[in-house]
Order: sequence, then C-alpha cells, then structure tokens
Amino acid sequence: MLVFTRRVDEAIVIGDGIEVKVLRVGRDSVRIGVSAAPDVPVHRREVYDQIRAANAAAAADPAELPALVARLRARVGTSE
Amino acid sequence: MSDSLPVDGIVTFAEGLPGFESQRAFVVVASSEMAPFTILRGVGADGPSFVTIDPRLVDPAYPTTLDRVDLARLKAAGDEPLLWLAIIAAREDGSFTANLRAPVVINPGAMCGIQIVAVESPYRVDHPLPMV
Repeated sequence: MLVFTRRVDEAIVIGDGIEVKVLRVGRDSVRIGVSAAPDVPVHRREVYDQIRAANAAAAADPAELPALVARLRARVGTSE
Repeated sequence: MSDSLPVDGIVTFAEGLPGFESQRAFVVVASSEMAPFTILRGVGADGPSFVTIDPRLVDPAYPTTLDRVDLARLKAAGDEPLLWLAIIAAREDGSFTANLRAPVVINPGAMCGIQIVAVESPYRVDHPLPMV
C-alpha cells in the first residue's frame, strides 16, 4: 500500500486521472471526495468485499451446473 | 421479459466480477430446458460459472433503473433492452439464495456486462428463493 499524509483540500491522483481529495477531517472519520471518469465505479471497501464473498460462494464448476439447474427447477418457485 | 433477449457470443466484462476481476469474457447460456434459469459462464479453463435468474422473477417489484455511472459502464443510453441476472448460490441445507443486492446487468447491444455494487440497497446478497 502506498501511504500519503494529506491535509484538508489536498489530493492524490491515481493512474491517469482518478483524484482522491481530503475534504474534511473529523475526530473519527475523514470525508473523502473521488473524481473519476463517468464510467469508473467507486465502492466502499466493505460492500465490495461482501459482493466478492457472495460471488465466490456462488461460483460453480461447469461440471456441477446440470445437477444444480435440475435441483433449482425441481425445488424453486418463481414468479413466472 | 428478459428471457426473449438473445445474447449470442462473448460478453465483455471490463472489470470482471468482484472476486473474479481478471475474468473479462463471459457467455450467457439459455435454453427452454433450463428456463427460467440461465448460466453465466466465464470463458476459459478456470472460468467461474454461475446459475442466474432475472431478479424480477424473484421479486416482481425489483427496480431495474441504473445510475449514470452504471449506464456509462454498460455503454447504454438507458432506453435499450438490458439483461438482468441475479447470481444464485446453494446453501448447505439444500435451499437457494439469489444475490439481489448486486445484480449482473448485460447490454446485448454493446455486448458488455457489469455487476452492480450499489452503495445502499434494501436487498440482500442472499435473498432466499422460495421452495415449492
């Protein structure tokens, strides 16, 4: 991890144009602003990690798929 | 609904999926035998595969609006038909859940796809699927 010390209103630039700026420093938290191109998603770490864990739990081997689909079709009701 | 939206060929996920960031190519496998479920299959030897379902079949009130960042990621204007897929996971007790918090969205017109990582959502990553 690259570590910087920044004051309020100071920023860092990542890659060719993502900017992270310190907006306000509080006692327990920091308000951060991120500027990036319109198609760059920016996430809270813990939300991203939660999705990552969910994907990992759901990922299947292609060989397992037919049985999985068969079980789903037999046992799950949908609004169709 | 989305099951009449054909997606033939490789869909590019420019950022992969969370946890599978280097998996950039997927295909959507659908058939009447599998319906309403479809498979999102990562291309390549170690490509992860997922069973998916349109989240609107799980909750008819599921909102399918996108913010401008996600529209840009999908190269979409907002009025074209998009494919919405919630990833399904199997629980150890034999039940199933769908990730309604972070749906996969595919733009067939541009053959690109993303997974939405919403800041806030009333939905869970493990929304229980009703058993019959």
